[in-house]
Amino acid sequence: MKIPFPSCEFDDAVAAVCHGSASEEQMRALNELLRNDAPARDEYVLRIELHSRLASDRDLFAEIPETIASPERFLRLGPRRKVRIRQTTWVLALAACLALLAAGWWVLRLSQPGERQGATSKAVAMLNRVADAQWSERESPRLGAPLEPGLLRLRSGLAQIVFYDGARVVIEGPAEFQIVSPNEASCRNGRLTADVPPQARGFRIGTPQMNVTDLGTSFGLDVKERRSELHVFKGSVEFEATAGAAKQNLKEGAGAVAEYSNKLKLITADPNAFASLFDFRLKSSAAEVLRHEQWRAAAGRLDDDPSLLMHFDFEQTDPAEWRLRNTSRRKEAASDGTIVGCQWTEGRWPDKKALEFRSVNDRVRIEVPGDHESLTLAAWVRVQGLDRQINSLYMSDGFEAGTVHWSIRHDGVLALTAIGSEPGSFQICTSPPTLTLNQLGLWLHLAVVIDGGAKDVVHFLNGVPVSHRGLNIKPPFRVGVAELGNWNAKGFPKEDPFMIRNFSGAMDEFCLFGRALSAEEIRALYSVGKPQPDPLIQTRN
Amino acid sequence: MSHDSNRRSGDQAAAQQRFLSLFLRSEREIFRYVAALIPNVVDAEDIVQQTAIALWEKFDAYDPAQPFTPWACRFALNKTRQWIERRQRWQALLEGGLADELAQRREELLPEIETRLKHLEGCLNKLPTEQRSMVEGYYYQRSSVEKLAEETSRTVAATYKTLQRIRQALQACIENTAKGAAS
Repeated sequence: MKIPFPSCEFDDAVAAVCHGSASEEQMRALNELLRNDAPARDEYVLRIELHSRLASDRDLFAEIPETIASPERFLRLGPRRKVRIRQTTWVLALAACLALLAAGWWVLRLSQPGERQGATSKAVAMLNRVADAQWSERESPRLGAPLEPGLLRLRSGLAQIVFYDGARVVIEGPAEFQIVSPNEASCRNGRLTADVPPQARGFRIGTPQMNVTDLGTSFGLDVKERRSELHVFKGSVEFEATAGAAKQNLKEGAGAVAEYSNKLKLITADPNAFASLFDFRLKSSAAEVLRHEQWRAAAGRLDDDPSLLMHFDFEQTDPAEWRLRNTSRRKEAASDGTIVGCQWTEGRWPDKKALEFRSVNDRVRIEVPGDHESLTLAAWVRVQGLDRQINSLYMSDGFEAGTVHWSIRHDGVLALTAIGSEPGSFQICTSPPTLTLNQLGLWLHLAVVIDGGAKDVVHFLNGVPVSHRGLNIKPPFRVGVAELGNWNAKGFPKEDPFMIRNFSGAMDEFCLFGRALSAEEIRALYSVGKPQPDPLIQTRN
Repeated sequence: MSHDSNRRSGDQAAAQQRFLSLFLRSEREIFRYVAALIPNVVDAEDIVQQTAIALWEKFDAYDPAQPFTPWACRFALNKTRQWIERRQRWQALLEGGLADELAQRREELLPEIETRLKHLEGCLNKLPTEQRSMVEGYYYQRSSVEKLAEETSRTVAATYKTLQRIRQALQACIENTAKGAAS
């Protein structure tokens, strides 16, 4: 393929690049042209700039002349709002976050996958943040990846590891750090800080010179081949020198030095020696607040979509409130949800709220009127376990014509059941087994598009389509009365073994659209909401 | 410890405020810098998000005597390169040094581009109602092309084509106005 200039092919190729729809062949041909033809290159730069100006200069659209704002406009325009990040909120959120950090907060409370029936994962911890990390292994551990017991060699940079029992360790390279179990590690050399929340009391770290058992604290270790320094910043720890001395307690502000042949020496804890590790944690939390704000701005924009029937952002502040606010601006579409049971917990970011479903009674009741040719459901969830044969994400009550049931099966299959108008007719559209044990405890974006026009059901995980299934049930589709995280069987035979379908996990965003979203739109939903930027980029050397 | 950490938290909060005000002021320019290489809006915004985090992590190294935007754009270029490395299609577009050439040429042309784009708002307002709504739906409301197609009873391909034609019309208008203003 060759693209001449000027030509229609050139025009089309530039437009396709702007829309993200250009083929590789088109891009290659454009590359060839632009590298060799200076006028074509200038024209390209100008066109792209016009496009990016339209996409970024929101003031261009801020004022609409009266003549244009006439009733015959065929597009519904939302209210003129500035969707720029609100700076005051931002700063307040950061301040709140820092306060929480000082008080010692814990984002991840993962259950141990090993305890689950049929579990095969040996992971005991997770790598959850890095800064300039260079690893000695050829295969760098992926950010967000579960870690099995084993040795981590960090040549330089910083890495934060969260143990499944809750302890959070930041190590600074060069370091050799061995993960032993969900509450135990050892360090041959390097510097680290450990924060241990109450539920992880008893977390142990061994060094060549001492064994440290945490009693609910924050402490630092500086380990060299022949010398280990322990600094207690908060709470207290118990430690014993491996040379055989008795166990000792060290309190906040105290420290100890154990050296190969010397007697144990008590010192004063020196947080300044660990300044870089503390700074890393502060920056990590600031980065999380930034992601949260970016999502919030995008979520506000989403609410203007006229096809959005229901949107729960789970951002309300009063935990005693039993109504779940529907933030969709199309108010006539659906009312608020009703929370039954459930616990408030942390969401994708430390200051993001989420609802946790645990008991068989936990659920959110919703009601949405109307018939639709297509529906799209999307949710951010943290799956704690797949305890039931069928674990409900969203299910309309009973088994009524035109309604759908969206669930995760115990084997990790995503399932969408569409119920037809003939008595007893239904279709189950499943994905291959998609959720793995390693994804338990992580925030995931799940979506399903029920496209009545194209007769197609597509399941998505983290913005990527995982299955396409032909749809035989005819529209219209409806919601009626439905539940998130549970199912009201309403007269369904009680002896049915799949009767109990309560979800075990947390949800911190739910969207319901009265149309079929494109794959690109689902990807955008994932992209603006993903808890952290793309992991590959951060671990790249 | 608590004294020290309090002070550090205070410093940190002040740094965060400084960073935010600088970043928010530069955000659009960073976006355009990235979009010159990766024009697809969703992808470019993704890269800007990643850039923001990288910038904050390296904010200690920022010298306030220097302008923020060029400093930030260096990070944006890095993040863009990393992003491209994992996407074969975009590699095909930007390989052979084209990414650097485009970034450089854009910088050279920027004064001229600015003179022309001054007329963009006026030209937007001259568009026929339907076209203006389409452009606003796509760029301001960020509606998907599929949705715009449905709302205007066009096919998706025809909607893309319409957007392309509207940009061409805007460009012609800008050039004409710029010429008129110059003569």
